[in-house]
Amino acid sequence: MKLRTLKQAIGMLTLAAALAACGGGGGAGGGTGPVVEAPEMPASRDAAARFLTQATFGPTDAEVDRVLAIGYAAWIDEQFNKPASQHRATWEATEAAAKAADPTNANAGAYQNGTINAFWKAAVAGDDQLRQRVAYALSQIMVISMQDGTVGDNPRAVSAYFDLLADKGLGTYRDLLEGVALHPMMGVYLSHLRNQKADPRSGRVPDENFAREVMQLFSIGLHELNADGSAKLNAGARIDTYSSADIGGLARVFTGWSWDCPGAPASACFYSGALNGASDPDRQFKPMIGYAGFHSSEAKSFLGRTMAAQATADPRASLQEALDTLATHPNIGPFIGKQLIQRLTSSNPSPAYVSTVAGAFADNGRGLRGDLRHVVKTILMHPEARAVSSSSGKVREPVLRLSAFLRAHGFRSDSGEFRVGNTDNPGTSLGQTPLRSPSVFNFYRPGYVAPGTQATAAGLVVPEMQLVHETTAAGYVNFMRDNVGSGVGAFNTASSRREMQGDFTAELALADRPPELVALASRKLMYGSMPAALAGEIEGAVASIAIPAATGSNQAAIDGAKRNRVNTALLLTLVSPEFQVQK
Amino acid sequence: MTHLINPDSARRVFLRQAGAMAALGAAGPMAVNLAAVGSASAQTASDYKALVCVFLFGGNDSFNMVLPTDAASWSAYSSVRNQAPESIALLAPGTAVNAAAAVGSPARLGGVLPIVPTNAQGRSFALHPSLATLQSMFATDRRLAVVPNVGPLVLPTTKAQYALATHPKPVSLFSHNDQQNTWQAFQPEGATVGWGGRLGDLMAAGNQRAIFTAVSASGNAVWLSGQTVRQYQVGGNGAIRMGADANGRLYGSTAAAAAMDRIVRNGRGGHVFEGDLGSVAQRSIDAEAALRSALKPASDALFGTAPASGAYNANNDPKLRYTPDPLAPATTAFNSLAQQLQVVARMIEASSNAGIGARRQVFFVSLGGFDTHDAQNRNQADLMARLGHALRYFDTTLGAIGARNQVTAFTASDFGRTFTSNGDGTDHGWGSHHFVMGGAVRGGDFYGNFPSLALKNTSNNNFDGSSNQLGNGSLLPEVAVDQFGATLGKWFGATDTQLLDVFPNLANFSNRNLGFML
Repeated sequence: MKLRTLKQAIGMLTLAAALAACGGGGGAGGGTGPVVEAPEMPASRDAAARFLTQATFGPTDAEVDRVLAIGYAAWIDEQFNKPASQHRATWEATEAAAKAADPTNANAGAYQNGTINAFWKAAVAGDDQLRQRVAYALSQIMVISMQDGTVGDNPRAVSAYFDLLADKGLGTYRDLLEGVALHPMMGVYLSHLRNQKADPRSGRVPDENFAREVMQLFSIGLHELNADGSAKLNAGARIDTYSSADIGGLARVFTGWSWDCPGAPASACFYSGALNGASDPDRQFKPMIGYAGFHSSEAKSFLGRTMAAQATADPRASLQEALDTLATHPNIGPFIGKQLIQRLTSSNPSPAYVSTVAGAFADNGRGLRGDLRHVVKTILMHPEARAVSSSSGKVREPVLRLSAFLRAHGFRSDSGEFRVGNTDNPGTSLGQTPLRSPSVFNFYRPGYVAPGTQATAAGLVVPEMQLVHETTAAGYVNFMRDNVGSGVGAFNTASSRREMQGDFTAELALADRPPELVALASRKLMYGSMPAALAGEIEGAVASIAIPAATGSNQAAIDGAKRNRVNTALLLTLVSPEFQVQK
Repeated sequence: MTHLINPDSARRVFLRQAGAMAALGAAGPMAVNLAAVGSASAQTASDYKALVCVFLFGGNDSFNMVLPTDAASWSAYSSVRNQAPESIALLAPGTAVNAAAAVGSPARLGGVLPIVPTNAQGRSFALHPSLATLQSMFATDRRLAVVPNVGPLVLPTTKAQYALATHPKPVSLFSHNDQQNTWQAFQPEGATVGWGGRLGDLMAAGNQRAIFTAVSASGNAVWLSGQTVRQYQVGGNGAIRMGADANGRLYGSTAAAAAMDRIVRNGRGGHVFEGDLGSVAQRSIDAEAALRSALKPASDALFGTAPASGAYNANNDPKLRYTPDPLAPATTAFNSLAQQLQVVARMIEASSNAGIGARRQVFFVSLGGFDTHDAQNRNQADLMARLGHALRYFDTTLGAIGARNQVTAFTASDFGRTFTSNGDGTDHGWGSHHFVMGGAVRGGDFYGNFPSLALKNTSNNNFDGSSNQLGNGSLLPEVAVDQFGATLGKWFGATDTQLLDVFPNLANFSNRNLGFML
């Protein structure tokens, strides 16, 4: 077909973009094509729900309606501008409520569960879904964990850390990196809080923990990367981004940092955060400050930069230069960008997809580097995010499987606190709790290759499979069986039910029509993608539960049977491999 | 050699087979030559063996686990590690405990615990003060050996060679995830085949059910993956039954339970990840069915303590609880490592059971928290107490089931740590000392040269005074993981040729059997 006019050409591009959005049938059409002005609209409710599976903690009818009304891009922008759910404020409210409910108990409080439940409140009921989803993704890259005893003893500050990720996660990478580097909980977790300069007389050397992990995990990674995420090679071998010497040089930067303190820069403030009994009650989450007396004034060499020795130790100057050096490294775009793709849309993005996202990181179109809003939007708007294939997408991690169920069925909390609690136990629960990963290496590695799998044979990585084994497979089924049947969270004796309950009105109305019931489950949980063979299995299982004929006095039995039918439809959907893969 | 005998299961199998033969019309089953009754004799065979990898995640500071106490070594050790604000230098043998000192501090722990290896290399040695159980395992029971200064190596490497860019070295040294993988699979992150699994590949044909060849009581571990053998993971409480209740019903329906069973096993959407998820579910269901009747309960006196009332709760089992602070002996805490070893012991005891029929098994257990960049005193003291308690518990339990000589446990870790202190902790190193434990171990000795420990150069962070220490005093390994693993593999039954295949760098080392196995 020949294009007669420029206008026609633009029209064709617009049509192509709209077609790419339809039904997800497009391939990897992406690359760095021109920005198309016409808004991309979801082709269907199911397409919108699939997008929301990537961009939120699970689709709801209301959110699907919104995306259909204004299109993907406008929805993203609207999400960016919503006020952030406040985790620390939620924790503090929980703490106050716990103390008020049990005033003579000195041990009453919110503790770690307060932080965990604040996460679930935001994830299930928060309006700022995209912001929270990005913060959750960042919590798996710039990791702190309450499995560390000291971190776990400061849940209020951990909630504040999540607020930091939610806030700066939609700012610039440079600001995010600084916020993370100076957060006292990161200082505790990676031990640079109270890290001291070397003592050449005695032979003490600075702690290298944060210096190493900020490079390996939070910024540039181990190997030099091309923009498309592939490793640069020198004579067939990957090229290390840093050496032990770089770590030693960078470690000097992260000396002399400790709590904000009214009596700073007194040594007592550096060591204990207090001077003569005066301390800042918010010191566990206010940014750390630099104490010149404990900061290395030596020359610091790292990543090809040498900072001259300082006549007077200047922690701020050292930090500025170090973080500027890291943040401008060409690796960040592909290294962090690819991981954000993996957390949101796809475990195995094509080189072109990574390249586009890395490009978005390098420049947001207005000369700004590290614009995380632009990066997130690019990830979610890329044609590959719409593409469905036998290897597209990702395995849903346990937290996101549960959140999808809770949101799809309108779960609310009797207490208002969304008391999901600790879900670490692999045999009876999810085997995963937000903000409680086993180490700074997160619950799973971005490059995890599952031994002996078809994915590995096909050259695919599946990070979330690192959590999947014979115990978690059974634990998840049993946990969801009980959640579907009885609700979620602690049993509340006052209400005689678990404290989080869903709304199954629509499902119950279809209990006597198995095909429609199962179709509803497919739409709510799998954006309509349930294959006919699976639907048939579930319909048969549902139909096997007899609904007794009404006798006038057996309503309870009828209701029970209908509820069991609904439970069956939902559970069999939730435990299916098809649901567990977000494709 | 002690036999691993499960008389009940052997008898059941014999009777079943004898009955089957009678049904075939064979005369006088009692006259049958037992050796000809194939699998029955294999299941009660005395030739069962198991390897148990005890992985210490994070990089254990073995400088404080096995210490040289001769004057020169001790002087360097004390000097280098005594740094403000919190010295991490443990105290000399014989130092009394100071009950007023902080929990986990060297002063509260008291002096290190002397051990005298058969070949003492002209020096004296000791263990971390929290390892009293291992001191007796080494000295009295003679079932514990030390292999000093082990680490991943491609070729034997001197300090001079280490400095050469051209000398082959393992990649991504000092990186947690890559070194965990290198210890387990000789490749950095992304490896899919580990040497435990490869040993399993060689032996799986002798197991009735290949699925129970390589078992993790921890999480996913590439050490257990072979080219054909795949890891089977079991939780500390045993295998979990998926979905249906005890009557085989889901929400009251047997059809729903049956549908669930079919649904989880396969994907129907044509996506490659679905099939992989289905495989795990299949193994979960099938293995649990086999283990349900085969595994003795944790509350059995062989493994645990039956509660006075109510259901068994591992957290409350005194056998699974350790004493974090010896000066507060009444205060105990749950030891997850002991529980992992409990389920391993239950699997071993059931290995001759008809439902399992395993003759060679590899197991993986782990403990985390060894990355002691800070608060090393407190954290490592607690971890050593857990390790010592768990290994002693495991040895006792193996004795109860008659399997001591057939099970060999060994420690492994990402790496050792720096010799220098950062003020209250250590950073990433390389070579580290490890334990091997079992009735088939030539206990009470060290197998390898114990490194020399020197003072840090005044002008830089190198240790010119020791041929074994690199920057910050990290150890340059002298024993390769290949050599360590090959010694275990040889005992396990692999041939010399097979070992060269399993351990990729073994051919580069002349000593392929360190000699710590009987």
